[in-house]
Amino acid sequence: MATPGAPLVAPVPLVWRLVTVVEVVDETPHARTLALDVPDWPGHVAGQHLDVRLTAEDGYVAERSYSIASAPEDARVALTVERIDDGEVSPYLAGELVVGDQFEVRGPVGGHFTWRAQDGGPLLLVAGGSGLVPLMAMVRHRAARASGAATELLVSSREREAVLYRDELERLASAEDGLNVVYTLTRSRPAGWSGYARRVDAPMLAEVGPAASASPRVFVCGPTPFVEAVADALVSLGHAAENVHTERFGPTGG
Amino acid sequence: MEEERGAAARDATVLDGNAIAALLGEIFGGSEMTSATRGCGSCGQSHPIGEHRLYRGAGLVLRCPGCGDVALVVVERGGEAVREVQLLGRWQVAVG
Amino acid sequence: MPPFSRGFHRRPPREDVDPSRVPPGQYVVNDFPVLSAGPTPRPKLDEWSFSVQGAVDGAASWTWEELNALPQETFTVDIHCVTKWTKLGTTWTGVSVDTLMDGVATEAEYVSVWADGGYTTNVPLEDLRDGKAWVVHTFDGEPLEPAHGGPARLLVPHLYFWKSAKWVRGLTLTVEDEPGFWENAGYNNYGDPWREQRYWGD
Repeated sequence: MATPGAPLVAPVPLVWRLVTVVEVVDETPHARTLALDVPDWPGHVAGQHLDVRLTAEDGYVAERSYSIASAPEDARVALTVERIDDGEVSPYLAGELVVGDQFEVRGPVGGHFTWRAQDGGPLLLVAGGSGLVPLMAMVRHRAARASGAATELLVSSREREAVLYRDELERLASAEDGLNVVYTLTRSRPAGWSGYARRVDAPMLAEVGPAASASPRVFVCGPTPFVEAVADALVSLGHAAENVHTERFGPTGG
Repeated sequence: MEEERGAAARDATVLDGNAIAALLGEIFGGSEMTSATRGCGSCGQSHPIGEHRLYRGAGLVLRCPGCGDVALVVVERGGEAVREVQLLGRWQVAVG
Repeated sequence: MPPFSRGFHRRPPREDVDPSRVPPGQYVVNDFPVLSAGPTPRPKLDEWSFSVQGAVDGAASWTWEELNALPQETFTVDIHCVTKWTKLGTTWTGVSVDTLMDGVATEAEYVSVWADGGYTTNVPLEDLRDGKAWVVHTFDGEPLEPAHGGPARLLVPHLYFWKSAKWVRGLTLTVEDEPGFWENAGYNNYGDPWREQRYWGD
């Protein structure tokens, strides 16, 4: 567990830890969540990620970074991995792995793309695809700490079936404690869909709010072109660059 | 600034400094560096390392998000316990 | 060695390749990975030029139209990236460096290759002559994509691919060898894939 009030600039844990998969949850046809037993877990801050290291029997090693999906308060550290079909690591993590399997992790790492309840709100969280994962850790942390910080979560997805954590988000939003979740579906929509149906743009961000004048802390995570477009739109709406935190992921071999 | 942002927007493979948080931790003796700021010797702006742009070529290149000037070049010597590191600009490293 | 992860394997290597075409430590890919030390420049072709300059008598420069009016060669070669991928049988069209050096007299033995975006790499002049290097603008019959170095890149297929500068704009001939971007950062000054010259000291 992270110690409340611990400095954000904590030392980076650089040791590799052998972790055991204790639960596997299929989130969508292309993504699953791995709950991990991590010995001597030092605790994390919502938004941080882990480096994952896989070693094949012949000694071949592959490393990737994955955002932590769980809140610091959760009993298990959880990663959500989207499968990139021609990738090398994600098809293993999101396909081959079963409960009881082991791999190595290092971290948690990253102190810039993080939010803690005591940082306060308002919050504007903008997710592209599986960029929702570190933002979900923030939403879960917010709920676990009953923070009540006014929070707008804008989720962009190709289709409804590809949205991670749909049921949980619906449940969290129904608590009406200041969390509002808005979806935009860019490729296909269910019949009768009344929500947004286009890529995130400045007018959408202005409607979802909060306005730049409220100086929200903004976190944007997704594929690089998504993050660049959203960051540009936010700046055009007057959000101060120092309030806009971005994290990009890209086709790094999956 | 706008030109640089536009250029980055066309490069689908560019990441940011957050992606090398652990590597930076190793280079800086365990310090959390993505929230540290770097003053650019070229454009004079300061930006968090986490907002710098990360390019992957033969090695890693971290660049100022304002002007594209090189901030860090890292070459990993595969299988060896040495890496080559070039740092440019003014890195503000937390102490204590 | 760290504990292994059950059921994890590297991508299976292609089995239909001639192993004598794959340098030590390399694996063969089917796709064309995009690696870059910086943002992709998009120069306007009517402002683009290619220069041969430096320690030469008769520096020369070509506009985009002039370069395309020079004799063109289409050829197929294997390329080897220091990050360990090899791509076999790539077909390019462009102008031989021999053609560009026609009429350029020099005592210099080294070349500093420079490109839009500030990238540089150094190559001995003799490694660019006698049909060993080209300035290419076409890949597989299509204009070279900006991500792969378009409008034009150098192609020196017998050396690691970082020597084949993307977005190339000129050759500066130098009397002294001047290490370029990656050579300064720790990669080998020469970069012969068959001798696995990846890093300093290899």
